[in-house]
Amino acid sequence: MSPYDVDPVQTTEDVLFGSQFNQPKELPTDFSSVDLSFLPDITQDNKEQNLFEDGHEMQKELDGTTPNEDSSILTDESSLAYPDASQGTEASGVCPPLTPMAPMTPVTPASESSGIVPQLQNIVSTVNLACKLDLKNIALRARNAEYNPKRFAAVIMRIREPRTTALIFSSGKMVCTGAKSEEQSRLAARKYARVVQKLGFPAKFLDFKIQNMVGSCDVRFPIRLEGLVLTHQQFSSYEPELFPGLIYRMVKPRIVLLIFVSGKVVLTGAKERSEIYEAFESIYPILKGFKKAS
Amino acid sequence: MASTSRLDVLPRVTCPNHPDSILVEDYRAGDMICSECGLVVGDRVIDVGSEWRTFSNDKATKDPSRVGDTQNPLLSDGDLSTMIGKGTGAASFDEFGNSKYQNRRTMSSSDRAMMNAFKEITNMADRINLPRNIVDRTNNLFKQVYEQKSLKGRSNDAIASACLYIACRQEGVPRTFKEICAVSRISKKEIGRCFKLILKALETSVDLITTGDFMSRFCSNLGLPKQVQMAATHIARKAVELDLVPGRSPISVAAAAIYMASQASAEKRTQKEIGDIAGVADVTIRQSYRLIYPRAPDLFPADFKFDTPVDKLPQL
Repeated sequence: MSPYDVDPVQTTEDVLFGSQFNQPKELPTDFSSVDLSFLPDITQDNKEQNLFEDGHEMQKELDGTTPNEDSSILTDESSLAYPDASQGTEASGVCPPLTPMAPMTPVTPASESSGIVPQLQNIVSTVNLACKLDLKNIALRARNAEYNPKRFAAVIMRIREPRTTALIFSSGKMVCTGAKSEEQSRLAARKYARVVQKLGFPAKFLDFKIQNMVGSCDVRFPIRLEGLVLTHQQFSSYEPELFPGLIYRMVKPRIVLLIFVSGKVVLTGAKERSEIYEAFESIYPILKGFKKAS
Repeated sequence: MASTSRLDVLPRVTCPNHPDSILVEDYRAGDMICSECGLVVGDRVIDVGSEWRTFSNDKATKDPSRVGDTQNPLLSDGDLSTMIGKGTGAASFDEFGNSKYQNRRTMSSSDRAMMNAFKEITNMADRINLPRNIVDRTNNLFKQVYEQKSLKGRSNDAIASACLYIACRQEGVPRTFKEICAVSRISKKEIGRCFKLILKALETSVDLITTGDFMSRFCSNLGLPKQVQMAATHIARKAVELDLVPGRSPISVAAAAIYMASQASAEKRTQKEIGDIAGVADVTIRQSYRLIYPRAPDLFPADFKFDTPVDKLPQL
């Protein structure tokens, strides 16, 4: 299990920085590879659980072993001896949602399930670093940061590892975009927080919340959008002059779907991965009904 | 005014012979007439006709009417407000030559914005020669949206333009967004946004646009004869039926069909000319034309007289 050995100097620096914080709890000494654990992650729930889970996440991410990070974390969590781990983490709104890999059961029987799983393309999340920041200072000292106060009042910073972009505001709030999964988004946000911390600001990691998730998939058959807009008038908006796709605003999970003639579907507006899956499972039989006959 | 009501209040006056019959008001003479027997029962009721007859060769400045413009009770909040007319004698002017008693302002201030919007709507509709029924429908839509106040933050001009677009659609003679943009100062993006918001606010929907809706207008603007117009309509309809142009805007398909029909006839038009009229880029026409070109022989109507045979159609 190789540690995060990109920069061996970093660990000593982190210890240095770590001493500046009042650590309300002692660090678990199991894993030496965790850099971000000293960021007190203040949530309503058990703080230790979050720490552990972050540690495990980190290791999984760094190993880059499997693309199914969710399932591996799930199995890891179940193997932990902590009795309230599952309740604590699932009850918390701040922890990454440990949703099962299979999509939520659709209304139609399982035999009719589409077999297509929407892929997440973008996650937008926000986090509060809980300290006022000097944006000019950050922009001058950090790498990959741009700051043009006349155009926009935030520093735009980019990192390569989970390829993401962050908008860091002077109030200490930060928006992280571009990640492809919830864990990556959290990891990226933590990396940005560490960058800010290393620049000398007392950054914390409060209230990490995923605000928006975008997924896309292909139903593999052309769709008759005119038919769909006729029957589902109250939900659909199809104006070829304005946009070539049909905009379907689903009510039950409140999701907006962009449906195109080619059969590609984009789902957006979700706060949870399950909402995307549920929305797609609801729309799939409807789309099958409007398949173009050819 | 009581003149608009047909049922009179019974205690006031009834025909002695037919107490139940409805009394009809004859406004010209100011009478109330029994509808059963024709007896005149009321007298000297207020006459709502015009005071004087004005002829066109009379001096235009001396309009003796004292009642003002026609009422617009459906739209404004009731037009009853007092206005002070221009002075006639020398006493009405103060020492600088300005008229005293200058009250021509603050009439129906609550709906000043609405009246302004109606004026704007009329101007816009005038520029593209829209008939009165569309303008009335637009005014009604605007009034509904204005009263609802859900789109209060949006510019009134944008809402007016979007209402005009919706009214044209609802009357079955849609205008493209670009055509509405041409007579309005609002951008297409903003009109599109207001359009969607208004449909949601009024909970209505509009029919989808088809290629045939624009054929007669585009073809007459290009000066194409009826045969070419009918051929273009047929081509566009067949192209959509055969699904040769999936996902293309109906305007682009219509423009490509017009191009094909005009190139096959004696009245040829270039892509640029058609693009100018339809508001479509000529590369877009080219793209759609490439999609329909392979099936060209199937798309033309059976009775079309080709000036240029199908195989000699330009291939772009």
